[in-house]
Amino acid sequence: MSNQTPAEAALAELLVEVLNLEDIEPEEIKPEELLFGEGLGLDSIDALEIALAIAQEHGVEIKAEDEGTKEAFATLRSLNAFVEQHK
Amino acid sequence: MTLATPLLQRPAEAPLAWLSLGLNGLPVPSNGQHISNSQFLSHVWRVAKTLPSENYAINVCDNRYLFLVAAWAVIVRKQTNLLPPNTNASTQESLSKLYQGSYIIHDGAAECSDSVDAINIAQLDWSLSDHIGELPQVELNHAAIISFTSGSTGEPKPNVKSWRTLQESSRINARYMLPNDSDVFYHLATVPGQHMWGLETSVLLPVFANACLVDARPMYPHDILSLLTVLPEPRALIGTPLHLRALSGTQKLTQGSAPSLSNVLCATAPLDQALAREFESRFSTSLREVYGCSEVGSMSVRRTAQTDVWTKFSGLNFGQEDGGKTRVTADHLPASILLEDSLNMVNEDQFKLSGRASDQIKIAGKRGSLFEVNSVLMKFEGVQDGVVFFPPQDRPVPRLVALVCLRDGFSKDALREHFRKYLDSAFVPRPIYVVDALPREENGKLNKAKLQSFYKSLSVG
Repeated sequence: MSNQTPAEAALAELLVEVLNLEDIEPEEIKPEELLFGEGLGLDSIDALEIALAIAQEHGVEIKAEDEGTKEAFATLRSLNAFVEQHK
Repeated sequence: MTLATPLLQRPAEAPLAWLSLGLNGLPVPSNGQHISNSQFLSHVWRVAKTLPSENYAINVCDNRYLFLVAAWAVIVRKQTNLLPPNTNASTQESLSKLYQGSYIIHDGAAECSDSVDAINIAQLDWSLSDHIGELPQVELNHAAIISFTSGSTGEPKPNVKSWRTLQESSRINARYMLPNDSDVFYHLATVPGQHMWGLETSVLLPVFANACLVDARPMYPHDILSLLTVLPEPRALIGTPLHLRALSGTQKLTQGSAPSLSNVLCATAPLDQALAREFESRFSTSLREVYGCSEVGSMSVRRTAQTDVWTKFSGLNFGQEDGGKTRVTADHLPASILLEDSLNMVNEDQFKLSGRASDQIKIAGKRGSLFEVNSVLMKFEGVQDGVVFFPPQDRPVPRLVALVCLRDGFSKDALREHFRKYLDSAFVPRPIYVVDALPREENGKLNKAKLQSFYKSLSVG
């Protein structure tokens, strides 16, 4: 039922784990759903938590001045693409 | 007796600010741009001249330097800065209704309400020139700043800071927060200038003491590190446990390449001692944790890596009230303040913190009330029974938990949407569990321990 790719599924699992989203199953996060504001409703504290987890898991450092950081955080799909690209 | 003091009270030769971001008419080289006292004053006058003859300026400038210039220009014009608890346009509207004769002063970064007059100071000419003429004097009782705390429902509560309060509290803060008074410390902060913690350390210390303001507000570890490598020494980093933890955990540091940090200041949430120790050793620095509240500002300090005992700032008096509460008084504060936390005095000047009144919660540096959050839950028409509580959590940013029984036809998503509408995002419960019934006693009460174990059984399964 989920159309997550394997890499997106792994990232979804990471998000659920680090953000205390224990009432959501990782496969419930739709790849194109907005992570912040509407949709999943994450906030700026979560952004920092995600950045830290991604740095530890994949060695990808996220920086605010990068073009595209904001776009990367839009959805599960864009975040995964960003991580894949910078690995 | 002096009834007015100068607008600027700091060493004449020390740089007032160091800019990393270019401004209109002021390109900034890659190694930064210093701003002198006199250049700052000329900027203040330039902004002051453009301000309308009103009473209140809602100061939402994002760039820390522009925020300070705007704030001081507002004070020069004998007006009052309003510092909203968030950057929502709706908050600006409610403030402008509460404070007659207010306008917004911004730098193009924040969302601004369409229904309030706004001035964008980023468009002004920021080229450098020296201020010529007298240094303006400010009356000690002038209401220079009103800062607002949000509370869980976002209802802003005002804290008036007179010029005297700003001046005296900054002198006290400098004594306890700066390692010595002969060097100028470059104060890089991860927190905004509008909130009390950032205001006191990253904005007021540079104007009232021997510190230099840095315009940027980096959040991610990479951004903090790259700024630190170009920032002149000695450097101080001002942040929160969340930022320090992220910085300490970044892989960029594993090569042993930590930039030198002479001083670190941390506040807004309890700092873990193990993290304090790790941070101190990674950066070969000393980390001071500060304890305070919005009404008073910073009140005490400790070297968390070494001790759990707080040392009270001199100039503040802690009086014990009936029921174990503590009341703070000081010559420079307009009124006494009853603290939410329970303090155990070790001796006259030192204490340990022993928790806060059970209704009071603090998440991500924001203070709120469980009672208020529960009232918001009960306003949701689809809720049959439910409770929001704050279980003990081993997490850097703990969150509230909601357990609810919903009526047919109402979804968890709709409840989450309802919470988001009425609550600051930090207080939106996460997780929300939909259950068949709550473990209530016969008398209808919820036993704390039972609630905990019920919640545990849900989160494990």
